[in-house]
Amino acid sequence: MRLPRIFRTTPFRLTLLFLALFASAAGAFLAYVYVATAGEATRRTDQDITREMRSLAAVYDRAGVDAVNQSLIERAASERPFLYLLMGPDKRRISGSIEESPIETFDGRPTWTTFSVIDQDAQGRTVKHPARGLQEQLGGGPILFVGADVGEDEAYVVKIVRALWGAGALVIVLGLAGGVLVSRNVSRSMAGLTEVVDAVRNGDFGARAQVRGTRDEFDELSLGVNEMLDRLERSMAGHRHAGDAIAHDLRSPLTRLRARLEAAYLDVEAGKGDPNQALAQALEDTDGVLKTFGAVLSIARLQAAGAAPDPVLFDPAELAADIAELYAPLCEDKGIDFAAEYVRGLQLRGNREFLAQALANILDNAVKYTPPGGAIMLRVRRRSSGEIEYSVTDTGPGVPDEDRGRVIERFVRLENSRSQPGAGLGLSLVGAVAEAHGGRLELDEGPGKVDDVGPGLRVALILPRPG
Amino acid sequence: MRILIVEDDLEAADAMERGLTEAGNACTRAADGEEALSAARDGEFDVMIVDRMMPRMDGVTLVQILRREGDQTPVLFLSALGEVGDRVAGLEAGGDDYLVKPYAFAELIARVEALARRRETGSVQTLLRVGELEMDLIGRVVSRQGKAIDLQPREFQLLEFMMRHAGQSVTRTMLLEKVWEYHFDPQTNVIDVHISRLRSKIDRGFDRAMLQTVRGAGYRLDA
Repeated sequence: MRLPRIFRTTPFRLTLLFLALFASAAGAFLAYVYVATAGEATRRTDQDITREMRSLAAVYDRAGVDAVNQSLIERAASERPFLYLLMGPDKRRISGSIEESPIETFDGRPTWTTFSVIDQDAQGRTVKHPARGLQEQLGGGPILFVGADVGEDEAYVVKIVRALWGAGALVIVLGLAGGVLVSRNVSRSMAGLTEVVDAVRNGDFGARAQVRGTRDEFDELSLGVNEMLDRLERSMAGHRHAGDAIAHDLRSPLTRLRARLEAAYLDVEAGKGDPNQALAQALEDTDGVLKTFGAVLSIARLQAAGAAPDPVLFDPAELAADIAELYAPLCEDKGIDFAAEYVRGLQLRGNREFLAQALANILDNAVKYTPPGGAIMLRVRRRSSGEIEYSVTDTGPGVPDEDRGRVIERFVRLENSRSQPGAGLGLSLVGAVAEAHGGRLELDEGPGKVDDVGPGLRVALILPRPG
Repeated sequence: MRILIVEDDLEAADAMERGLTEAGNACTRAADGEEALSAARDGEFDVMIVDRMMPRMDGVTLVQILRREGDQTPVLFLSALGEVGDRVAGLEAGGDDYLVKPYAFAELIARVEALARRRETGSVQTLLRVGELEMDLIGRVVSRQGKAIDLQPREFQLLEFMMRHAGQSVTRTMLLEKVWEYHFDPQTNVIDVHISRLRSKIDRGFDRAMLQTVRGAGYRLDA
């Protein structure tokens, strides 16, 4: 049998556990109170009975059975109403305040018993009092039974015990009700999260947990889950986009390649034309496809790893100088003024190879878009935040404000740059490298119009300080 | 040259064998690591081309065993794994060069020749000479027909590499990897610019150009 949901919740189970603990504790407490008070009352009564018995035994020893009988009659009227029964050695009743002894089997040795006395209270109701009794044979002759009410003490204890039982029952009822309430509350908080998990499991990655603003642990959990889902969704969207983009970026050159090969094949079959040129062009196309493919793979791997592999500590200026040395001649050939400015002695932790490639891609781009007569500036500095910033500023046409975010996205090439070579992956890779290093890419306006070209572009690769 | 091709992809191995044979080499083939191990133990090879991932015994294990046995034959690893870590693992196992698939055949030939040549010139040289060109590695001086040529440090390294591989095709990727130590392909061909600067220094004013462009492959320094 399956229990209703509420009884299966953790808070409810905890409530039950605590109630069980409470019940055990209450039971132990009751037992202690009982032993401490009821035991004490019984002990005192027993002492009184023993004293009475000794006193009557002394009377018997001194003056015989008639004196005892006389003494009983006197004592029956005294303050402490003992119950007496004097019997002959044959257990026949001689006198006393009760008709027969509650002790049924008596072998002559002193014998204790607990029994109850039936009485009537002030309102005439029949009440039972617990009582203790002692039966002894006096000097080998008559048998004497002395009994007494355990008394008011006992009744008081009974009341306390009854009150405790009542309180215990009340606590258990209230506890169960509280447990149900808490469970329902917690369940409701969890239900939102469970729904989100179910939704995601069923493929809805847009589902988000509700944050109630109470700043409790459920809110924290919801926020965490939402952040996780955001990241997952971004990453999945990235992959989906990448898939589309790969298809797009590979399909066009592959289609061109196929057409070229087909044309060459037909030409050769018809006995006209030299296939060499078509083949050379096909090879070049293939290289382009492979290059695109390589770039896509690099980006995908970086994003999948989520962190830069094999990071080392190095001087960012050295890396910049190396890359500048590679690109300076290219700029010079194109008639671009290349300058570099490094703050030396800084430290950066990262993957040198990937960062080198990122810088190379930024410079590639700058050289590609800066017209002859323009200028490119490479800079390395530390921001006031402690972050390391590589920046490349050019005097090319720049990127319109509204397009800057898109430029970093994978494969996006602005329409007016379609004529330029390159797979459109340059800055995407830089963005992936920045992200893998916990950094970011920033695009800004360059120095403004220079010779009617402008406003230029400033690309900054910002990396966290080594922690 | 005697070349051992260790490649489990038969079609790729066919193409490699055909190309390398046409280039004047004698090829032996092995389709898995164990076959390759016995072939390598039996025969003398100038270069081994080893695919990293193969059935029965992978390329890295194969090369580790051979190196432990004292076999110093140069090894060119071929792999679809192109990450820095994979490259380092291959080279640490005893590989001498690492080529990521897919590759241009010219690239493969150039690298195989470079590996074989490296073995021939095992001794430490202090003076390189290619035709009229002389390079003093200790004095860091270069001259052609006795006339000193002034080179920047990187140009010197570039020329040193070309001279050590004189007569062979050297690809742009090889230059970027061996001279600059970068393992990525720049979008623009920065290497061409560096080569043309070097060319203007060693060939300008002389009757014959030594630094040749090899179509579809890269460059070659001729004596």
